[in-house]
Amino acid sequence: MKLKRIFALGLALAMTLSLAACGSKTSTSQSGSSAAASGGSSASGSGTEISLWAFNIGGFTEASNWDSLIAAFNQKYPDITVKVTPINYQDGDQKLTSAISGGSAPDIIFEGPERIVGNYAREGLMVDLSDLWTASGSDIPEGINAVSQLDGKYYLYPLSAAAHCMAINYEAFEAAGALQYIDEETRTWTTDNFVKAMEAVRDAIDAGTINITVPGIIYCGAQGGDQGTRALVNNLYSDYYVTEDGSSYNANSANNVKALTLLQDMVNNGSMSANASFAASEELQAFANQTCAVSFCWNYSNYSQYASQTQFTPFAMAFPSDDGTPELEMAGPYGFGIFNNKDEAKIDAAKKFVDFVCNDQTAGVEAVKTTGFFPVHSEWGDVYADAEDADVRAPFALMNEYLGRYYNLTGGWTEQRALWWPMLQEIMTTGADPKVAADNFVTQANANIA
Amino acid sequence: MAQNSAVAEAGSKPQKAKAPSPHSGMSRALVRRETISAYLFLLPSLLFFVTFVVVPMFICVYYSLTVYGLGGVKGFAGLNNYLKLFQDPIFHRGLLNTILIVVVAVPTVTAFSLWVSSAIYKMHTVPRSFFRCVFYLPVVTGSVAITVVWKWILHPYNGVLNQVIGTTGFDWLGNQKTAIWFIILILFTTSIGQPIVLYVAALGNVDNSIIEAAEVDGATRLQVFWKIKWPSIMPTTLYVLVITTINSFQCFALIQLLTKGGPLNSTMTIMYQVYDTAYRLNDLGYACAIGVVLAVIIAIFSAIQFKVAKTD
Repeated sequence: MKLKRIFALGLALAMTLSLAACGSKTSTSQSGSSAAASGGSSASGSGTEISLWAFNIGGFTEASNWDSLIAAFNQKYPDITVKVTPINYQDGDQKLTSAISGGSAPDIIFEGPERIVGNYAREGLMVDLSDLWTASGSDIPEGINAVSQLDGKYYLYPLSAAAHCMAINYEAFEAAGALQYIDEETRTWTTDNFVKAMEAVRDAIDAGTINITVPGIIYCGAQGGDQGTRALVNNLYSDYYVTEDGSSYNANSANNVKALTLLQDMVNNGSMSANASFAASEELQAFANQTCAVSFCWNYSNYSQYASQTQFTPFAMAFPSDDGTPELEMAGPYGFGIFNNKDEAKIDAAKKFVDFVCNDQTAGVEAVKTTGFFPVHSEWGDVYADAEDADVRAPFALMNEYLGRYYNLTGGWTEQRALWWPMLQEIMTTGADPKVAADNFVTQANANIA
Repeated sequence: MAQNSAVAEAGSKPQKAKAPSPHSGMSRALVRRETISAYLFLLPSLLFFVTFVVVPMFICVYYSLTVYGLGGVKGFAGLNNYLKLFQDPIFHRGLLNTILIVVVAVPTVTAFSLWVSSAIYKMHTVPRSFFRCVFYLPVVTGSVAITVVWKWILHPYNGVLNQVIGTTGFDWLGNQKTAIWFIILILFTTSIGQPIVLYVAALGNVDNSIIEAAEVDGATRLQVFWKIKWPSIMPTTLYVLVITTINSFQCFALIQLLTKGGPLNSTMTIMYQVYDTAYRLNDLGYACAIGVVLAVIIAIFSAIQFKVAKTD
């Protein structure tokens, strides 16, 4: 019996210890970043270890693309260790919210102003980066400068930016006789010509001329890629998503309701389709598969992701507008924010890293090229001039000329995103009155704008 | 009348006999030692349970009474988060959908599992194992893999379902009337595996001599099932009901991966709203309040099931 008791005790102890061992292994192996973020005692050797959580922006979808940048950084700062944790737009917010509320936020985040400034800085979680701006931000355009700050302090230090645009299946449009409706040189089209082009594609599908299932898809199954549907609606009759003074969302303006009504009519007459189970990723896949002939969620990052799957020419286009002068949404500006984890050594190390990646021209150009977008430093010029794929990048550079107002920092932005796609569902898939649906959207969105 | 005597005897409640205490014959010291050993064996999982279940539950209740966002607790909200639930149409829709899922999925999963188990439990080992394996496969397959397959099946333009029935373009998961039923169907396919395995084991354990006696006495198959097998498998049924109910209430992965609560909240569930409120809207206090209400609802349902099964 004594032996049995000793055995039982030993077993229980072993199980307890193994549980504890498992626990401790998990907390350190989850990522070096979380260990680093949780306190000041995580320095490696005599140096400092900082964590970087990076969204899957352009080439940084592949986390190993950070390696060469970090190696170059370590040439200059050998005592700072940078641990990268890649996150994506599917569950990145969940991971960040869990980390922040659990007191283990990363030291650095790589994303855009919508989250860094609009969400985290607004909650008082970020470090003021005004010193970086003062030292090196003089050649960054005013529009990017404006969206990197809140209440006079800078919380985002940008690296690259681009414009969101759309794309057409060039060969399908050609076969459908729809190329006559676009300006191939400026890559623009008017609203009237957009309607005619989509009808031509529809007729070609019906006649069996092209092997496409539907002309285009208004995706409204989730908020992913909602910049595409926003830009489509706002451009059709040259209006804006938010009023000029930023005091109200604007989906129920006369022009925007006119645009929503036009799209509803196009869905009804078959020159467009609407899917309440599709987010942008499904629409992009459908475009790549030649299920539909246009995509409303295009940029260089998506081009590079889907190019290998396409057996046609994805021809980047600006969104159609009644006057032929589009105003596109900015992709980014993508850059860095630093969480205030109350550790001055880490904050200092994080600033050095951000300064190196964004302001050291050699490292910065490499980083910009990895995102696939364009540098925010105007003094850096055309970083793709000597690139092998300069021709492919040229259309996306052209789109930068059509950049419009940036309104993604309007109050209640996160909440209104949850309302936009259900409004589209209502209008496009249930036949609801666009004016009534847009009024409801604006009322609910404005409730959080303060 | 005599023909059903065995059935009646088996179906009646067992006489209460004075069972010997499991500790009779043991010295008090021995009992103490055995008890300590038992608790030591329980200790690791108990520690785990308390740390990761009980403590977070109390923390959740506390946060539900606060204004809690990304920047931490900003103040005491009292019952405001709970009062907000009464005015929240998304919560109302989520509650209705959750109840619909439970009311449809739980009985169908239980009945279907019992039916399949009854059909296969007497089979030879090989076919029985084959069927158990087939029905259990969706349980061990990851939710992501399952939803990917269903997405292929239900794809509006290239999906098998539309190809087969000639409705190309119909968006099954994007239609308010059909989306929730497909969620229930997929939940059904992933929920029946475990009950079938449990029922096969439970039916195999029913005393065959009583069944044979009843059959000799002329009892019909229905009578044998209802008077002998059903009471014997009642504990399993209770377990299946409770587990399936809890799983149905907590239906989340399918919604997240397939519909994100849409279209127009037609597949919104309370569990998904907890996630959505916490991680997309960053309103952690309100999410905790919804979570507490969900826990209370599940507790009430489980209590009713225990009560009904006990009475039965």
